[in-house]
Amino acid sequence: MTRNALAARGANIDGVALVAALATIICAAPAIAVIGLALARSDGGADFGGDLLANGAFGTGALMAAGGLGAIVFGAASAALVSLCRFPGRGLFEWLLVVPLAAPSYILAYAYASLTWAGGVSPLRIEGFWGAAFIYAVGLYPYVYLAARAAFVSQSLGALEAARTLGAKPGNVFWRVALPMARPAIAAGGALAMMEIAADYGAAHHFGLTTLSTAIFRAWYAHGAPSMALQISAVLLLGALVFLILERRARGRASFAAALTRAKPAPRYQLAALPALGAVALCGGLVASGALLPLAWLLRLALLHANVEDVAGPFLNSMLLSGGGALVTLALAAAIAVAARRANAFGKASLYAAAAGYAAPGAVIAMGALALFGLAREAGWIGGLGPALAVTALIWTYAARFASAGVQPIDAGLTRLSKGLDASARTLGAGPWRRFARVDLPIAAPSLAAAALILFVEILKELPATLILRPFNFDTLAVKAYSYASDERLLEAAAPALLIFLVGLAPILILTRGIGQVGRR
Amino acid sequence: MSFSLSRRAFGLGVSAAALAACSPGGGGGGNVVNVYSARHYDVDRTLYDSFEQATGIAVRVLSANAEQLLERLRAEGEATAADLVIAADAGNLWRIKDAGLLQNVTTPALEAGVPARLRDPEGAYWGFTKRARVIIYRKDAVQPEEVASYDNLADARFRGQIVMRSSTNTYQLSTLSSRIERLGAENARAWAAAVRGNFARDPQGSDTDQIKAVAAGEAQATVCNHYYYFRLMRSEDPADREIVAKTGIIFPDQAGAGTHVNISGGGVTTHAKNRDGAVQLLEYLVSDEAQTTIAPLNVEFPIRSEIAPAPDLAAIGAFKEEDIPLDALGRHQAEAARIFEEVGWL
Repeated sequence: MTRNALAARGANIDGVALVAALATIICAAPAIAVIGLALARSDGGADFGGDLLANGAFGTGALMAAGGLGAIVFGAASAALVSLCRFPGRGLFEWLLVVPLAAPSYILAYAYASLTWAGGVSPLRIEGFWGAAFIYAVGLYPYVYLAARAAFVSQSLGALEAARTLGAKPGNVFWRVALPMARPAIAAGGALAMMEIAADYGAAHHFGLTTLSTAIFRAWYAHGAPSMALQISAVLLLGALVFLILERRARGRASFAAALTRAKPAPRYQLAALPALGAVALCGGLVASGALLPLAWLLRLALLHANVEDVAGPFLNSMLLSGGGALVTLALAAAIAVAARRANAFGKASLYAAAAGYAAPGAVIAMGALALFGLAREAGWIGGLGPALAVTALIWTYAARFASAGVQPIDAGLTRLSKGLDASARTLGAGPWRRFARVDLPIAAPSLAAAALILFVEILKELPATLILRPFNFDTLAVKAYSYASDERLLEAAAPALLIFLVGLAPILILTRGIGQVGRR
Repeated sequence: MSFSLSRRAFGLGVSAAALAACSPGGGGGGNVVNVYSARHYDVDRTLYDSFEQATGIAVRVLSANAEQLLERLRAEGEATAADLVIAADAGNLWRIKDAGLLQNVTTPALEAGVPARLRDPEGAYWGFTKRARVIIYRKDAVQPEEVASYDNLADARFRGQIVMRSSTNTYQLSTLSSRIERLGAENARAWAAAVRGNFARDPQGSDTDQIKAVAAGEAQATVCNHYYYFRLMRSEDPADREIVAKTGIIFPDQAGAGTHVNISGGGVTTHAKNRDGAVQLLEYLVSDEAQTTIAPLNVEFPIRSEIAPAPDLAAIGAFKEEDIPLDALGRHQAEAARIFEEVGWL
């Protein structure tokens, strides 16, 4: 071990590390509780007939591969097009491409089923395995798009110009310089999308697929064996952990830190007529299938159901939970991301520990939170789950579930900070807090904003944990939409579903403006 | 810097703790009944409102899936604020009872209001509406007498012509559970396997999606809860009413054991803080007043046959209901789930 490494290890026992440790424990506790419960509770596990578990694991893996690959290709291609090329409508697509982020997968699934299955209007059926993979790909590609876009616009003119000067054709510059440099960001976005797929229950169930998530709910709902559901969840959580470690390994040391200098962004490459048409078709197709088409269908349904009921209460509740939840989760995610960047074992462990919750269905994480609550109650620390405690538990569950969605962009932002800068600050005598406040924070500010907005939208869409942990007489937009949809009243579900989408749109617009500014700097 | 930050962190912790301490443990004073409900119907709110007006007792509701409410009740233990649990399907209510989270309640009003067959023998839960599991068939392909019984769906005549929703759904489990109770597990397995063999496709979507598939010619028959069909009849969407025009509805097994009927019902929680209020609300739900108030608005059947249902339901006429103890639906649920898995009907 070198002297530097030793010094780094010594420096980690400081306030920042302590806060990070606390944040990790807070975020990881429900997931750990799930694993603990899976080991401890034995009220007779489900006695499955058939190969449900093997099929479920295979189904989840296949969906992650197909849907995730689709999201990666769509997200990276569209990001590259709007960041590096010029074509008609580019400026519009730059922000339109993020819009599907506001549409929850289960709403997309219900909308596409109603639109294209029997009784719908489309000759092309979106159903079965490939239908679900399609919905994941067009619904989740914005995770990749956002990360890749940020990476592409922050690439300096220098690197691309150097390649061009060395005689590389534009295509070669892309494949051999721009794309490899954006690879870590694309991988991070792809990992988020894949974990979303692993956690999804609504769309997979509606499409009749067998995944680990549907197996969890089958054990819980059909067999009445929540302990078995917890055991499958533990498998899913551990699987997510392995997946994350592999993803990080694959990314390796591929971090490109040179772009911090305020180099002019590279000029965009003008596409010829045919490629430009292709670019418009791809971007337009993504926006249409990920948002506009299903939402137009929902709008038609909403208009058919003339009885517009009061959504003001649910709207306010949604804003309260999403705003509060996003801020708390952001703070925890920032602490974890900063700790993780101090490349030591603890930092990495905290990253993984906080991230696993992202791959588990929200209902399962909520079950973990409920179990912890039960323990605290039995110990006499707290009373019943009153309104304040329920909201606290809910926000905690959001943090446990979505910390990773915040950590990833912040971490990506921090990788732009060269290790040398941190070392320089240390050499200049800056303590850990000062380095955090004066170096880490300003550099991470744009990604912090991006993370906050992603978290806001995630929590706005979140359903199962909200359903199970919220206080009395407290509905959110997602709860409203789901209540109707689960009762098979899509007409009534359409209005709150549309509202989720519209509310989610605002932060998304801010988010894309932010990216634009980073690009302009 | 470090000091001020940690002081702020400490302050946050304190205020969170204070918030937690302030939260009322129960919220169940004498004038509030807290309800955990797995039903999302607008008529329920109508009922709660008129109960409030009649008694001055306010009703607060938390709605979620029955299984999730069960887990919340389990974690909350004696600290729960819930006084009454309401759920669709007796199988769900049985589970909550089985977990020791419902208390037995018997009052003259409840006994008079709910037929013995539609409540828990020990009084843990009481039905307040009925729903029937019906067969929907396409008129241009099937004669009504060809689908007079659930058994018909297992006939080779319907090879490749049946669609069904997933067996993770409680209604599906309860339907098979009732068969296990009446005819035994072997019979139930053979029936499920034969129906599975007749599937036009793997299960996907909701009850309503199955009806639409039948109307669109993708299959000839399906099984669903009756109210999904009546909702389509009442729908604002002309396309929905067209679906109804192409299809017919059968209340099966009129010559045999009768149509499978399930309940929506409620039970008082073991740790209810406002037991009296909960019992009053339960009594109100089965009272003549409540039953006649919601009958015209509801798509379910009133709990007592002497109360007229909505006109379109009444047009069906009286039908023979399957007579099995309700708790059988819960007792056989796990076995039903296993049978479905074994025959590949997921």
